Amino acid sequence: MRVRIDGTVREGWAVEVTGVEATALRRAIRGEASPVHVECPEPGSVHDHVACLPPSGFDRRAALAAVARARGHEAEQAGELVAARDELAAASPPAVDVREARRRVAAAGAEEERLRERVAELRGRIQARHETGADTTAVEAQLDAATSDLAEAETERIAAEQALDRAERAARKARDRREERLELEDRVANLERRVREELAARVWETFRTAVEAVPGSATVGESPGAYEGDATTAALGVARLAPLDAPVVVDGLDRFSGADAAAATLDAPVIYVR
Amino acid sequence: MLLVVTYSRDARTTLRNVCRSHEGTVVRRFGRATLLEETELGAFLALRLRAKHGDDVQIERTRPFNEFETVPEAVRAAATAYEARETPSTPYDKFAAGTDHPDSEAMRDADL
Repeated sequence: MRVRIDGTVREGWAVEVTGVEATALRRAIRGEASPVHVECPEPGSVHDHVACLPPSGFDRRAALAAVARARGHEAEQAGELVAARDELAAASPPAVDVREARRRVAAAGAEEERLRERVAELRGRIQARHETGADTTAVEAQLDAATSDLAEAETERIAAEQALDRAERAARKARDRREERLELEDRVANLERRVREELAARVWETFRTAVEAVPGSATVGESPGAYEGDATTAALGVARLAPLDAPVVVDGLDRFSGADAAAATLDAPVIYVR
Repeated sequence: MLLVVTYSRDARTTLRNVCRSHEGTVVRRFGRATLLEETELGAFLALRLRAKHGDDVQIERTRPFNEFETVPEAVRAAATAYEARETPSTPYDKFAAGTDHPDSEAMRDADL
């Protein structure tokens, strides 16, 4: 490993640095843009879990599952999970397109209502003109036009309602497919959890041993998952256990005297931030 | 009330979060579905979900059910009579045969 910070280069299995943000180092290790430069092997999937110690968030089961995979273990249900994921990826439920049909019904209803009021108003005006003996010819022509518009609007509203009805029926079928996809999503999630549990269980014994060898106070029981202690100690155990080629950033963790001690305990390349 | 049904894990999670932060507007929660108050806020929450998750969110409007208003007397009487039947294993249509109770086929085709 080669670490270059402001022109200063440090090389080796265990390197100590000062005045550098752990996140900057982590980004550099991942090959992302960073003010510092780290040359090292590409980090694997376990590295993500223990890239920075103490970890900001640590999912013990997921980390152990990653370790188990890195050590070549495979879960019994792995094949089933792959198949379920494939099935989910292939599931493409049709769109539920009812929005335009709804908008059309609303517009047709509003138009019909407007014309109905218009017809009533014209009728009232004709009535009033009759009472005063005024000429009604012009208003009657308007009424004829409005009445015919109203009939058209009614027809449109009925057609719009029927179209919405059809769209709703089609939507119901599309939702059946979406429901099937949701069941598939749940199945994938359950399988993922079971696979993680199984994989974590495969390396539990070695994890117990690893935790005993790292600094920190934690009690690891015999049955997988029985862990009492802090996340940092668990993460240290996982780091020791995991095959790591890319360096782990130990951020001022005073459980170690320095880079060499950390690298020896964790059995991994270490950049120790003082 | 407004019935909101979700059809994906993401939509279901959002619905759960929305319900948690707007308990006053939630009438009842059922797993991946929820009944919201029929208020502008209820509609706002439902539409927000649809804006985020599109077709994975279904919104329906429910009406209060008053059987005395909408259900024919014969249907109501049939339900009560069937639940009081002497032999629990009797299927409904067999129970209804030869009585004044409507058969299930007739009820299927009759909208409320």
